[in-house]
Amino acid sequence: MSKLGVFDLSVRYGKVPALNEVSLSIEEGERVFIAGPNGAGKSSLLGAISGAVATSQGRIEMDGDILTGQPPEAIARLGLSMVPEGREIFGALTVQENLRVGTGLRRDRHAVQTDMDEIYSAFPILGERRHAPAGALSGGQQQMLAIGRALMTNPKLMMVDEPSLGLAPKVVDQVYDKLIALQEERGLTLLIVEQSSVRAARVGGRLILMRGGAIVGGGDAADFGDQAALTEAYFGKSGAAEDAEAKA
Amino acid sequence: MSDITQLFFDAAALGGIYAMAALGIALIFGVMNLVNFAHGEYIAFCVFALILPSTDAMSVMFLGRAPAIVLIPVILGLGALIAVASEMLVFRHMRNASPVAMMVGSFALGFVIQNTLLALYGGRPKAISLWPDLNMPVELAGASVPVLQLIVILTTLVVVTGLALLLRKTRIGLEMRAAAENFRMARLLGVRANVVITGAFALSGALAAAVALIMATQTGVADVRMGGQIMLVAFIATVIGGLGSLPGAVAAGFLIGAASVVLQAYLPLDARPFRDAFLYTLVIVSLLVRPQGLFVPKSARPRI
Repeated sequence: MSKLGVFDLSVRYGKVPALNEVSLSIEEGERVFIAGPNGAGKSSLLGAISGAVATSQGRIEMDGDILTGQPPEAIARLGLSMVPEGREIFGALTVQENLRVGTGLRRDRHAVQTDMDEIYSAFPILGERRHAPAGALSGGQQQMLAIGRALMTNPKLMMVDEPSLGLAPKVVDQVYDKLIALQEERGLTLLIVEQSSVRAARVGGRLILMRGGAIVGGGDAADFGDQAALTEAYFGKSGAAEDAEAKA
Repeated sequence: MSDITQLFFDAAALGGIYAMAALGIALIFGVMNLVNFAHGEYIAFCVFALILPSTDAMSVMFLGRAPAIVLIPVILGLGALIAVASEMLVFRHMRNASPVAMMVGSFALGFVIQNTLLALYGGRPKAISLWPDLNMPVELAGASVPVLQLIVILTTLVVVTGLALLLRKTRIGLEMRAAAENFRMARLLGVRANVVITGAFALSGALAAAVALIMATQTGVADVRMGGQIMLVAFIATVIGGLGSLPGAVAAGFLIGAASVVLQAYLPLDARPFRDAFLYTLVIVSLLVRPQGLFVPKSARPRI
């Protein structure tokens, strides 16, 4: 049984379709990138899996539990955690309080402190500034905090939406280094939305390409490292051909 | 000198009532962007719970007959209960509605409560005698201060400190602050929406009950319209304080109380009947100068 299974999932905002019968499956411990242009449905897919976005059709399963139709807090309790686009840290709360928000769902209260110490040793800057308001952190530090906060729920599957958004390339490198180290340490399953397939190729893993609310291709991320493969996937030979057919 | 002391106690006591009422409104606004106009009716409801339902001018004590040690927790619990019940029956089903629709819903609920009280108790204001001894003055720092004023000031300090501790030191407090800043994100981290919202309503209702006990003792009157008046001042306090800011609501509550007492004392005699015109002119000035409120929560400031 796969870790996460998505079957014929559709999402629509009013009459506008955002996802069209998407199916995918992710294995335990896998690292999967979702790439695609704006409006491809990447964030809608993550939103639907996390319970923040209502689905109109299809089914989502994690470890055999059905997620579809459950509220976000119930899905979080089943072991799914989210690092959202734009980080969405609680700016008025301290760094430490941010990390504690997601620990209310845990049964293993004694392990919470150990996990927090681990996050402080993985991200020393968070430890140094633990009593400072999180809103005073830099963008890169906020991204680290968002990752740490998601890890504090002790997730089985973690979803990260555009971790490189608005960060300097050097900071993005650091974020990914930490993310990969933490994944290997904890045997996490990771689902990452990443605009840049070049970045995905460098980090390594499986890549799923989305366009127009559907999955249009995918494979080993290493095969999508050059611009030509990306351009083809984004704008598509088949897409150009369809246009030509439509005109004819 | 004693005049100033007297003024200080008057201002602090009135401000304390406004501050507690404003806190009740700000708490709910913080977690669900709802300006709950039924809040004033929670206060009236708690006052009327003290007396037996009848349309006579003289009131007969009902819950009000109980000794304070029983009465206070019962009335606080009753306030929490009506607030939680109104969330379950009305606001829970409007969570995805626009803030304006929710606000209209709260108006409607307020009228339902008010008219229920009207049907049970009649429209005439009733004399009510709860703890009349507390209005006896004591000499303090050269001023003659009713014991109740001291109790009000003390209660406000205890409530504000207690609430601050609850929000800072407890699990539910942390979840409320997180939810107030970004409810969607808090839920993605496993924070249960229903627990946080029910908790906020219970606290807000208990605050309304505390205001009710103070008002009943101080004015000695139960009036179905009493909720609307205090609600208006409290709502203005939450706006001036910066909607969603709890410290702002408290500070603005005290500020309005103080301004109102000072105007009453120093306006020329002829102008005193029109005190509220001067008070609300100050409100307009305050909003012109700082439309976002005097104390804006950090979370409301966008960060790029």
